[in-house]
Amino acid sequence: MASHLLPKPTPQHSTATAGGMAEAGHARPRGLLRWLTTTNHKEIGTLYLLFSLTMFFIGGIFALVVRAELFQPGLQLVQPEFFNQMTTMHGLIMVFGAIMPAFVGLANWMVPLQIGAPDMALPRLNNFSFWLLPIGFTLLLSTLLMPGGGPNFGWTFYAPLSTIYAPPSTTFFILSIHIAGISSILGAINIIATILNLRAPGMRLMDMPLFVWTWLITAFLLIAVMPVLAGVVTMMLMDINFGTSFFNAAGGGDPVLFQHLFWFFGHPEVYIMILPAFGIVSAIIPTFARKRLFGYPSMVYATAAIALLSFLVWAHHMFLVGLPLVAEIFFMYTTMLIAVPTGVKIFNWIATLYRGSITFDPPMLFALAFVVQFTIGGFSGLMLAIAPADFQYHDTYFVVAHFHYVLVPGALFAILAGAYYWLPKWTGHYPNVKLSQWHFWLSVVGVNLTFFPMHFSGLAGMPRRIPDYALQFADFNMVSTLGSFMFGFSQLVFVLVVIKCVRGGEKAPAKAWEGAEDLEWSVPSPAPLHTFETPPTFKHQSH
Amino acid sequence: MRTSFVWVVGLIIALVAPLAMANPWNMPRGVTDVSGEIFSLHMIIFWICVAIVVVVFGVMFYALFRFRRSKGAEAANFHENTTVEVLWTVIPMLILIAMAVPATATLKQMYDVSDAELDVMITGQQWRWRYEYLGEDVAFTSNLSTPRTQISGEEAKGENYLLEVDEPLVLPVNRKVRFLLTSDDVIHSWWVPDLAVKQDAIPGFVNENWVRINEPGIYRGQCAELCGIDHGFMPIVVEAMEEEAFDTWMEERKAAAEQEAMGVGREWEFAELMERGESVYGSICASCHQAEGQGAPPTFPALAGNQALLDEPERHISTVIDGVSGAAMPAFRNTLNAVEIAAVITYERNAWGNETGDSMQPSEIAERIADQGE
Amino acid sequence: MGLWKVVKSVLAAFLGVQKEGRRREDFESGKPANFIIVGVIMTLMLVVLVAAVATLAAR
Repeated sequence: MASHLLPKPTPQHSTATAGGMAEAGHARPRGLLRWLTTTNHKEIGTLYLLFSLTMFFIGGIFALVVRAELFQPGLQLVQPEFFNQMTTMHGLIMVFGAIMPAFVGLANWMVPLQIGAPDMALPRLNNFSFWLLPIGFTLLLSTLLMPGGGPNFGWTFYAPLSTIYAPPSTTFFILSIHIAGISSILGAINIIATILNLRAPGMRLMDMPLFVWTWLITAFLLIAVMPVLAGVVTMMLMDINFGTSFFNAAGGGDPVLFQHLFWFFGHPEVYIMILPAFGIVSAIIPTFARKRLFGYPSMVYATAAIALLSFLVWAHHMFLVGLPLVAEIFFMYTTMLIAVPTGVKIFNWIATLYRGSITFDPPMLFALAFVVQFTIGGFSGLMLAIAPADFQYHDTYFVVAHFHYVLVPGALFAILAGAYYWLPKWTGHYPNVKLSQWHFWLSVVGVNLTFFPMHFSGLAGMPRRIPDYALQFADFNMVSTLGSFMFGFSQLVFVLVVIKCVRGGEKAPAKAWEGAEDLEWSVPSPAPLHTFETPPTFKHQSH
Repeated sequence: MRTSFVWVVGLIIALVAPLAMANPWNMPRGVTDVSGEIFSLHMIIFWICVAIVVVVFGVMFYALFRFRRSKGAEAANFHENTTVEVLWTVIPMLILIAMAVPATATLKQMYDVSDAELDVMITGQQWRWRYEYLGEDVAFTSNLSTPRTQISGEEAKGENYLLEVDEPLVLPVNRKVRFLLTSDDVIHSWWVPDLAVKQDAIPGFVNENWVRINEPGIYRGQCAELCGIDHGFMPIVVEAMEEEAFDTWMEERKAAAEQEAMGVGREWEFAELMERGESVYGSICASCHQAEGQGAPPTFPALAGNQALLDEPERHISTVIDGVSGAAMPAFRNTLNAVEIAAVITYERNAWGNETGDSMQPSEIAERIADQGE
Repeated sequence: MGLWKVVKSVLAAFLGVQKEGRRREDFESGKPANFIIVGVIMTLMLVVLVAAVATLAAR
């Protein structure tokens, strides 16, 4: 794909070949083969990021189809059947194809650089886990062209809508989820192995940057829950093709069991998509406030606490399935508890800003917007935790607003912040400031125009996942649609920024940001293909 | 930077201000005691959030404004303060406990389904609701009544576009009504915001909820759980009547049901069956098999020109009565009465070019169902 | 280091608040296995505790 976009690897700055570096010293294949066979963490990181960007635009187009249909009441552009495929595919692509691979891509690039490792611990596995993704997602997207259409049961694919009542392509959907799941598990194993084994001499766990910490914890979450997802889709596969009745009530099965299994995966999954974002923001805010992160140990402990609690809250997605009263109360309390460590993080960031020396460079703009908007998503989450009120909120646009605030101006803005932060390291050039600011402000206005009115339409009674709606919701939907197109198209500005940044621009020194302290800023910009072939000695710096 | 700041503040005001002035933007207070309590919980937690937002973002924006390097701010060097950290852990804890207490009380009330004066079984079906007044022999299905021409835009949309049905659920005010919810196919969710009742209808499960309506009126809602193509087109309308009016209505419905039961025994004319069959097909079958019987393969097979079906009347009958196990076709044994089943089978075997000339008598169907029951 | 100290550190982790000095001590003199075992046990205790409170509240 667009290989002209990629930074030209600069010649190796060292002739020493570290043991275990598969390709060092060999003549490397050129062109496509180079990208197919690469075992270099930076190249694989770039592949992940480009893949995720592509998926982001594909999922975004699906979202715009949905929003265009919802621009006004009535069915204008698409039929309900295709509409359901679009909502489903939008969710699946964004969760598994855009957000997760983007974080894995950032981890691939930055974890070895931040801990002073020469590469990922398992480079060939790294290559394999990336190339599984294009295969899995091509398969997933191809279902749209199959007879009966693609998945149309929502990204949560509740049985029996996703089994007995599903289109024939569902078996392919299951296979693609398996492939994406294997990719995630292998990626997680690799990240854990790298962090635990390849830290620079002298760097203890508690010296690691928070991005590394949050990824370490995220990787354990991935290993814990992706097999549950694999299990649940395999049970679906059996129900569909082999006559079992795990989720078929007529055969003695239990449709609610599906939801328990799905959300036991699904809730930690939510944190998989947000913990690395916390890590990125915890790197950026101290850099541009020129002040150490407030409460570093608290941040680490809070991350661990969130990860543990995330296994105890899954049934808050199921307050309406008829759980016993005790279970409702239990899950309401645990869900409210998880707000505490999350709040601690936000307070820590704000305390970091306090009495700093703040500049508003592009990464900082996105990081600050993350803090504000993620908090808004957190507050609606707190409201949703109140079980009796959830009887009104559940399955409405209020929920849609909530999780989009957490994921778009939350996780996605953190990814963008990370991209702006590390682009100088990746390309050797600073991103264009004017364009970055345009991108930022258009995105902020667009994202809030899109998702803020959804709070209102949800409270006023608009259910999720409907292709057409009653007249009283018309104004909110019109605003949301206008905002979504504004947000969607303003992401093209980001592509422009990246292209310009790869091509040229203001040269960045090794330490591209004045306040940046971590190890990645000790290697030249752009980072040469091989770094830290002789391990750096880690000075006990401030954390 | 100053202009950016103004932008952000302006944006927040522009987005939040309308909340304060317009009620239809908010959750309805509703017409039951429980819905009122939920509304209060919602508003309390909302204002708590607003208060925290003001404090937290207040500090944040103050810091962003005050400690700009462009204004010569020098970075301090502090990075922990146990007192502050304990405070911002303990205070949220206390707020959460304060919220949990009333929330738990309301939840317990919502779960108390005892002492109901009327039981209504609500069954979700793709894509309609079936209501059965238990112990009263009154049952009917409730379908979307908005014409397709309004949806496609050929006709102007009416006031209650997509929120209107052919037969609303009729309930008395001031009586505790227990709902028993289940589904014949996929998971649906029965939701009427003004009653603050939303409960999943799950195949193989019977969920409970209850309501005591304080004011007569018409309350509208929708299915809240994605249930397939027409998920957006299965609304709920509840008509809450004064108790006397409700009792009268119930007597009339019972008499009509008896009348219908007597119809099973007599011989039906072909034209009569076709007429009744067309209306049953339109309200029950057409949502999947489509208006002209063309179906939506592969999930919903065509009926027009379906030779396998037309060659074997026996199979046609058993498909309608018993459904198809492992597929989307539900059993209509309990949903439709014998007259309706006979009529719709007759209609399907003679409409859209299916000219078999076959006609079913309600008595045959009734016998068959009775045989199965033994 | 003593059991009580480990328990206190894990409690601090639950709240998400910890002092730099204590943290340093944990990482210099504590064994990871101790923290993990105590952490898991205390998580289970938290589950039991919340479940007990929920059962009481549901009465």
